[in-house]
Amino acid sequence: MIAIKGYRHGLLIVFNGASETPWLSHLRELEAKLDANPHFFRGSSVAFDVKDAMLNEDDLRHAIDVLRTREVKLWAVFSQNAETCAHVRSLGLTDRLPGVSTARRTSEQPAPPREAARHGEPSSSEGGESLFVRRRIRSGQVLRHPGHIVVVGDVNPGAQIIAGGDIIVWGRLNGAVHAGALGNSQAVVCALEMSPTCVRIAEAVYIPRSVDRRRRRKRAAEMAMLKEQEIIITSWDVLAYKTRFEGQ
Amino acid sequence: MNEQAPLESRVITVTSGKGGVGKTTLTANVGTALAQLGRKVVVVDGDIGLRNLDLVMGLEHRIVYDIVDYVEGRCRLRQALIRDKRAPELFLLPAAQTRDKTAINPQQMVLVCDELRQEFEFILIDSPAGIEQGFQNALAPADVVLVVINPEVSSVRDADRVIGLAESQGKQQIYLVINRVVPVRVKKQEMLSVDDITEVLSTEIIGIVPEDEAILSASNRGTPVVCNGKGPAALAYRDIARRLNGEQVPLEAPQSLGWLQRLFGR
Repeated sequence: MIAIKGYRHGLLIVFNGASETPWLSHLRELEAKLDANPHFFRGSSVAFDVKDAMLNEDDLRHAIDVLRTREVKLWAVFSQNAETCAHVRSLGLTDRLPGVSTARRTSEQPAPPREAARHGEPSSSEGGESLFVRRRIRSGQVLRHPGHIVVVGDVNPGAQIIAGGDIIVWGRLNGAVHAGALGNSQAVVCALEMSPTCVRIAEAVYIPRSVDRRRRRKRAAEMAMLKEQEIIITSWDVLAYKTRFEGQ
Repeated sequence: MNEQAPLESRVITVTSGKGGVGKTTLTANVGTALAQLGRKVVVVDGDIGLRNLDLVMGLEHRIVYDIVDYVEGRCRLRQALIRDKRAPELFLLPAAQTRDKTAINPQQMVLVCDELRQEFEFILIDSPAGIEQGFQNALAPADVVLVVINPEVSSVRDADRVIGLAESQGKQQIYLVINRVVPVRVKKQEMLSVDDITEVLSTEIIGIVPEDEAILSASNRGTPVVCNGKGPAALAYRDIARRLNGEQVPLEAPQSLGWLQRLFGR
């Protein structure tokens, strides 16, 4: 059983019961998961939590290859098994969370992915974890989280937000966003000022005409959602939410 | 001027992401202006393989050793430093022209700067364009990051990226220099205004430099405009130097010149 979680430094893939099941079948499950949601994972750096599984270097290399062909980078593997940890280190990966007092990250070990620097700690909420970020998201920065993402601040052009759930921006949304990136077509994108370069919800894509983006925007808050497989943008108010989540 | 109290040394990295916005000119001028204020200054060319700073400062004929020679142990740091006689304490640490950005790594750059800190109050690093290793080298030792932009969207976008990278490396003092501003064109909305830029970057502005014809000929001659110029750019560079030197200098957006000034000005 594989679970995808968000944590301080980005994405964490948890392999539950990794010691009971052969590693190959875990990798197959991982492959299936990656291939089912390519947009969510492509370009990300992930960490593994393999619990107490005993993995050798070939097992790990195999995993790295599985990820690499899908443009995903492995930067850390956490395990309670000391031997596994030793193999992890000899491959030049990290086996400890940075910032934990017992961990002494040497300069040879990879640092956590930069896109994740200064992530907040995800908090759990109804329907899974959410990520709350209170800053401006700048060009080239990526927020990626399997749950919902809430940003208090502007999302600049060139920035990217990818969430398994909803994306709520209390500010200007000028970047590219993908809500429901793990396949949830019920997900919505809300912003005080909706002028993104691109909106995706689940499989659907919406690219605003460039005049939309340039228009001096004195509009009210808006919400993007899927209606009959197409993304529509409506005003984001009490009524919109009501019809969306409590039925017409 | 020399009786002012010595400052704790600061490494100031001049960067931009985008090329051609005026990093090298700014480094040369602000470095020279700081030295004119009586500070001990070294300007470091971080653009290994495409060095320019020596040209803009008119020191290209005096290069014997460069930063790579020092890092690789072929000379002492003192031997690589070139004294600029136009100010009491102004030096250039040139880049190598025959190598590329990988000749030095960020740790080595930090070590070089630590050594320069022993002697200088201001260490200005002219970063190469881009966000690759040359930029990482220049960023690593920085106490202060000066991000140079032109008032146009692609420059602002690149600056946003660079500011994000600097922030994720824990840099706290990040300031913006808006370069090559033409007030008339801002008025006509052909150029971004200070407000437009602040809206996207929300970064403190430390200087606004107007477009100035004197820059081009000064660069070609190898004499930074602050050496004897009284033009608008020279004034703006001196103001930036004074702000970095801890003086309170009010920041004004340049006004378009009246017709009388245009006739008799400069």
